[in-house]
Amino acid sequence: MMKPTGNDEYAGNWIADAMRDHQAPLVRYVARLVGNDLDRAQDVVQDAFLRLCQQPEGDVRGHVVEWLYTVCRNRAVDVVRKEGRMRSFAEGEVEQVRAGEDRPGRALEVEETRAAVLELIDQLPTNQQEVIRLKFQSGFSYKEISRITKLSVSNVGYLIHMAVKQLRADMAAQQP
Amino acid sequence: MSESKMSPDDPRLSAYAFGELSPEEAAEVAAAIKDNPALAAEVDAIRALGGELESALAAETLPATEPVNLAEPIEFPLGRRTVKRFPYFLVSGLAAAGFAVLVVVQSPDSPLVGTQEVAVAPAAQPMEMVTYDPHAPSSDRLADRSSESAEIEVSFSEVPAATDNLATPVPPPLSSATGPMVGSGKPPAGAKRMAVAPSAELTAASGRMMSLAAVEAADRGGGEGYATQEAHGWQQVSHQPLSTFGVDVDSASYANVRRFLNNGSLPPVDAVKIEELVNAFPYDYAAPEAHQDAPLRANLEVASAPWAPEHRLVRIGLKAREMTVAERSPANLVFLLDVSGSMNAPQKLPLVKDAMRLLVSQLKDEDRVAIVTYAGQSGLALPSTPVRESRKITAALAALSPSGSTHGSRGIHLAYDVAKANFVVGGINRVILCTDGDFNIGTTGLGELERLIEAKAESGVFLTALGFGSGNYQDDTLELLANHGNGAHGYIDSAREARRLLVEQVNGTLATVAQDVKIQVEFNPLQVASYRLIGYNNRRLAAEEFNDDSIDAGEIGAGHTVTALYEVIPTGAEMPNPGATIDALRYQAVPDNPPSGQHAHEMLTVKVRAQPPGGGRSALHPFPLVDGGASFAGATADFKFAAAVAGFGLKLRARPAAEQITYAQVETWGRAGIVNDPGGYRSEFLDLVHQARSLTEN
Repeated sequence: MMKPTGNDEYAGNWIADAMRDHQAPLVRYVARLVGNDLDRAQDVVQDAFLRLCQQPEGDVRGHVVEWLYTVCRNRAVDVVRKEGRMRSFAEGEVEQVRAGEDRPGRALEVEETRAAVLELIDQLPTNQQEVIRLKFQSGFSYKEISRITKLSVSNVGYLIHMAVKQLRADMAAQQP
Repeated sequence: MSESKMSPDDPRLSAYAFGELSPEEAAEVAAAIKDNPALAAEVDAIRALGGELESALAAETLPATEPVNLAEPIEFPLGRRTVKRFPYFLVSGLAAAGFAVLVVVQSPDSPLVGTQEVAVAPAAQPMEMVTYDPHAPSSDRLADRSSESAEIEVSFSEVPAATDNLATPVPPPLSSATGPMVGSGKPPAGAKRMAVAPSAELTAASGRMMSLAAVEAADRGGGEGYATQEAHGWQQVSHQPLSTFGVDVDSASYANVRRFLNNGSLPPVDAVKIEELVNAFPYDYAAPEAHQDAPLRANLEVASAPWAPEHRLVRIGLKAREMTVAERSPANLVFLLDVSGSMNAPQKLPLVKDAMRLLVSQLKDEDRVAIVTYAGQSGLALPSTPVRESRKITAALAALSPSGSTHGSRGIHLAYDVAKANFVVGGINRVILCTDGDFNIGTTGLGELERLIEAKAESGVFLTALGFGSGNYQDDTLELLANHGNGAHGYIDSAREARRLLVEQVNGTLATVAQDVKIQVEFNPLQVASYRLIGYNNRRLAAEEFNDDSIDAGEIGAGHTVTALYEVIPTGAEMPNPGATIDALRYQAVPDNPPSGQHAHEMLTVKVRAQPPGGGRSALHPFPLVDGGASFAGATADFKFAAAVAGFGLKLRARPAAEQITYAQVETWGRAGIVNDPGGYRSEFLDLVHQARSLTEN
């Protein structure tokens, strides 16, 4: 898993490096915020990199990744607001993310469990989904998530706790 | 203290499991779970789940991305300056597909005048144009600010639109690939912008206008929206003997504050409206005498302010005429329900449905209900149906499911049309809007929405705006709607709150007994030196607006109570801030007609002005008050409780520079105010105070 810590050292072409590492995850994150519109998400992310180009390196060094997520999120919210695309970001997502091919034996089992987990995540309230993904997919700390989403740290903690509780209950219910 | 009885619901447990706590907090949790195997198992299970989530999410497919070519910064000759790291990919990509590109770079501090055009790389048809301001700052200076404000706005719009905006002749693209315009937005005048005319291909991909600017707007809108409330301070009676405001029976702020506190955080200051906290509780005020035919009665009480015993606290308690279900006029209701995707959360649409079912259960057989939804397509989910056929109504409610995007203004039009089509003369005609407030208002802005609602309100149809959910809850939008739509707004965070608003106070919620209710207090300078109105920050009126019936104010429903509190400094007492006093006026002759003996002993007079429902000339009701010198201990329970709630609000709004009020004091005053607590609302308040206290002490 990519670890966007506060200590990324982008020597030389730091923007290209940031893009290589984070463009696709950002698109995935933004897509969920803008009603699963991948094309729109690509645009939002491209624009964020475009803006990154204008940042003096010293200003963003050390928190490039957090900066990118924050800018992308702000813009996604803006897009959604302007267009009234208040579609839940879970809609139609399940099929998309479970695109793994059949594999034999153990691999299949693991694949199935993962797919089931993803499906359960998709059933959470959207604000819980977002913080869960920021925490466990993007690897941000509560503090970083708080800055990205503008929620308080304790609110982030509460949402994650509620989501974890719900997921545990759901998974227990799925046990045969 | 709380460590020993930490509950499995404590969010600190998962924060601990994921290593998110500070060393001190972690030590506390570690101590709590040491002797508690159940909690320890809980932490292990949470941690295990975290691992599962990580691996499941890591395996999730990543979308394919087009590489963005930022590698070759190109330089434009901008006077003696250069722009580095220009997003060449955008230009080159578009040029390859064949269209016109128009770029305007403008400094934030120079207006969009005197721009020049420079043709860049006009090798291929169509041509690309760069317009720039010769005084534009260098990229470095641009970049310096760009973390604060958006520097460049990119809008994808049709070429002619771009031409209009920039007053720059651009040859239309020759390529037949140019697609139709899909929504073009006019960038704000003076904004720096870069307009790119898209091809069909790009149009399909990017769809509508996309703003790169408005980052501030997005920042503001990223969370929940609250209008800033300016707290008003002390007024000197010698200069401001009149205090005027419009009443507010809303209690939305209380439910919202409760949600924040229960979720473990202090509410944002602007989410705390003290008058709405105070008005969230029922008070046992005397109703107008039946024979008086007055819609309202003022119950005045004065005692020491608990937080400043040398000050007096004046309570104005308005009580509206009661109305039994049988007395209530027949109702014609239209539920306007937001079923957009954003409502897809347990505390939203499902709660809306429960709330509306509750409301229907309170209606009379001859009342009528229609359901209008708004989302991708606004529609009539149920034509106006008598409550006698309540099964039809509940079936229609059950069939609603969240889908599509929101189109608020079309829904509003439809709902009012349905309400007007079924108008009951002399009855209750009301649109009940349920939403998280975060709706797209079509092509209109908030100002336009305001005018739309105002125009609709003239039809005699009232509005109740009920807010649901969190995360993107827009309190200010709902309050604006309610204020301009002759209505009330409430916030429903739970089935319990739904029950309070829609069952216990159903007559008040539906039947208005007085509208545009205003209060003006005149203070007697012989008795009072200074005063301040607690709360009502966005309800203040100018003195001359009191008698002006065209000035809108709050509506009061049957049986509703409204409470307002003034803190008063008697003459002779020390001023809170002696440095801030106003000198005696030199030219304004001191009135040499001090209040005649007849009124000299009065402290103040409360004047209430109200119009009958549906409008008409307002009637004036004066209520003078004489201070009997009561201590706080000698005040009524209602007075003590209202004072406690106000003190709580002052405390919540005052952080971090706290007023000299502690949560412990608030608890003491509140406890003294609980004598009769049907529904347990006052006890619940004490729990909230306790919660706020534990949050600030941590």
